Amino acid sequence: MKIVKYPFAVLSAALFTVMLVTPISSISNLIWLSSVDMPVNIISSLEVILFDFQRMGIALFAVFTIGFAIAFSVAGLVAKFSNFGGKGLYSLAGAVSIGVALILMVELLFQTELLGGNRFLIGKILHWVAGFFGGYFFYTLISKDRTYTFVIRFVGIFYSYILLGLVLSWVFTPVIAAADFGFVFLDLSDNAQNALLRDFTSFFVATFLFSVIGVITLNPSWFFSSGIIYYGAAIFNLIAIYAHGTNYNQIYIGEIILGTIPTILGLTLIYKHKSI
Amino acid sequence: MSLRIFLSLIFLSNISYASYKYETIVEDLDDAWSMVFIDENTILFTELPGNLKILNLLDKSITNIVNIPSVHYASQGGLSEVILDPDFQSNNKIYLSYSAKNKNNKSTLYLSSAELRNDRLENRKVIFEAIAPRRTSVHLGAKIAFMKDGTLLLNSGDGFDHREKAQYLDNHFGKIIRINTDGSIPADNPFINLMGALPEIYSYGHRNMQGLIVTSSGDIYEHEHGPKGGDEINLIKPSLNYGWPAITYGIDYSGAVISPFTEKEGMEQPLLHWTPSIAPSDMIYYENDLYPEFTNSFLVTALVSKDAKKVIFKNGKDYQESLFSDLNQRLRNIEASPAGVIYLLTDGPGGKLIKVLPTK
Repeated sequence: MKIVKYPFAVLSAALFTVMLVTPISSISNLIWLSSVDMPVNIISSLEVILFDFQRMGIALFAVFTIGFAIAFSVAGLVAKFSNFGGKGLYSLAGAVSIGVALILMVELLFQTELLGGNRFLIGKILHWVAGFFGGYFFYTLISKDRTYTFVIRFVGIFYSYILLGLVLSWVFTPVIAAADFGFVFLDLSDNAQNALLRDFTSFFVATFLFSVIGVITLNPSWFFSSGIIYYGAAIFNLIAIYAHGTNYNQIYIGEIILGTIPTILGLTLIYKHKSI
Repeated sequence: MSLRIFLSLIFLSNISYASYKYETIVEDLDDAWSMVFIDENTILFTELPGNLKILNLLDKSITNIVNIPSVHYASQGGLSEVILDPDFQSNNKIYLSYSAKNKNNKSTLYLSSAELRNDRLENRKVIFEAIAPRRTSVHLGAKIAFMKDGTLLLNSGDGFDHREKAQYLDNHFGKIIRINTDGSIPADNPFINLMGALPEIYSYGHRNMQGLIVTSSGDIYEHEHGPKGGDEINLIKPSLNYGWPAITYGIDYSGAVISPFTEKEGMEQPLLHWTPSIAPSDMIYYENDLYPEFTNSFLVTALVSKDAKKVIFKNGKDYQESLFSDLNQRLRNIEASPAGVIYLLTDGPGGKLIKVLPTK
């Protein structure tokens, strides 16, 4: 785990920083919407903050991971060959990394500001501060020995993060989510609408919760529960195609992937537990 | 996310219900953006880098017009729209919209009038400078149309980084502007007596408007690019707020929520919205009969969907059909000649002018 912990610490720090950064844009947007008398309330605020964390966060996670990988490598070299080091150095590297990444995002992408919260000085400062904490978080992760559970937890959290998008769509914008799955919601009968929303929402919320609980408890049963549901979806997808004559639907590939990830996590936990 | 990507691949197919015959008139145009017919065989067209040219359809010769305004050609900015004065045959007047640097070295939208005489612009005059300065020359709008009363309408886009300003009347971001042909302000403009409001504003709450037409009955329609989703066609009425960015059916390119709201009292709903986006680039209302299937339809060219949409509004519903998708081109502009023949401009460097052969 000595070497492996570094890349997973970078990934974890990037995800942690995404969690700090995305609310800056969300909250600045909500403040503006309130200022023009839009009916912003707790539910709509939660919708904006969570959707931003998931949808905007995916792209930022990739950008921040690259930025942190470079910045923390440089910081590591500086720490090795100089008297500087420790949490201050990595925190500074994190702040610089986010600052440079946000400048490059503007200069390389049409010279427009894609992050709403980065259009104002206070927003820019808050982004740098988020990077600072990201660097600090990285330092805390690498400053101690880590076991395999560190990797399990990161992969489990990232898996849950991916599922969060589907959960949010079904909870907050079910009609759009239904359209994504090929349903013309308003054309369905009342009972069919109810069944669709009820079953699909519980499907995604359940698998999301199983994986989150699996991350917290490290009990493989929770990961297997999630895996079984997605494998089941893939199997019955194929049965629908070949036994019941529905249209071919390649989504079973995605279902197999979503079933395999938690299954591997569960199997790893069992294998490691036996090894111990 | 993976599920949604897989599904989007399955459901985003684009079906064209009718195929047409085409004739490529000219090729290798340099970011051609707009065109207008001087007569059945002569087209005046712009190229974004700052070229104004005349194309003779009989011999396909192209003549450069000189003494055109200096433009700021960058990103989406440059020489944009050209239209003729309703009395062009007698006064030779044309109107050009373009982006240029203002006195503070910021890019903004301009509208100039000039007389086209012997392949040269004369008596050039800036008749409008948008109070919409921006660092990057994007989301300018820049379409022009004449109203029935002889006043000019101009789209002024939200400038991307300045989207919130579309909701305030003290600037020209995200507004439709109405002025007289000499640049003066019509006395019946809706906000002319409102303290703090710019008197040129006709409607507000718009994003990046590209189509702007006035039908023979005098109705004004515009369409605008949404961000990711939420492209709209709107029926424009004076003083109304069209909602951007407080209400929208799209999300930001970053994936962020722009607004969780799609409607609010006091903000207009679009006649239709496209989600996912098609990137509408131009629009005509076809009132001729050379293509009987198009008569009294809106024809909207699109960049992302690489087709044109025939749109009909009937009994509060919209009916659409995809056209010209077999060209597989990003379509920038559409015009009907005085006789009703449809021509298309394709987008970008190396663009083409394509004639759609009449079906009648």
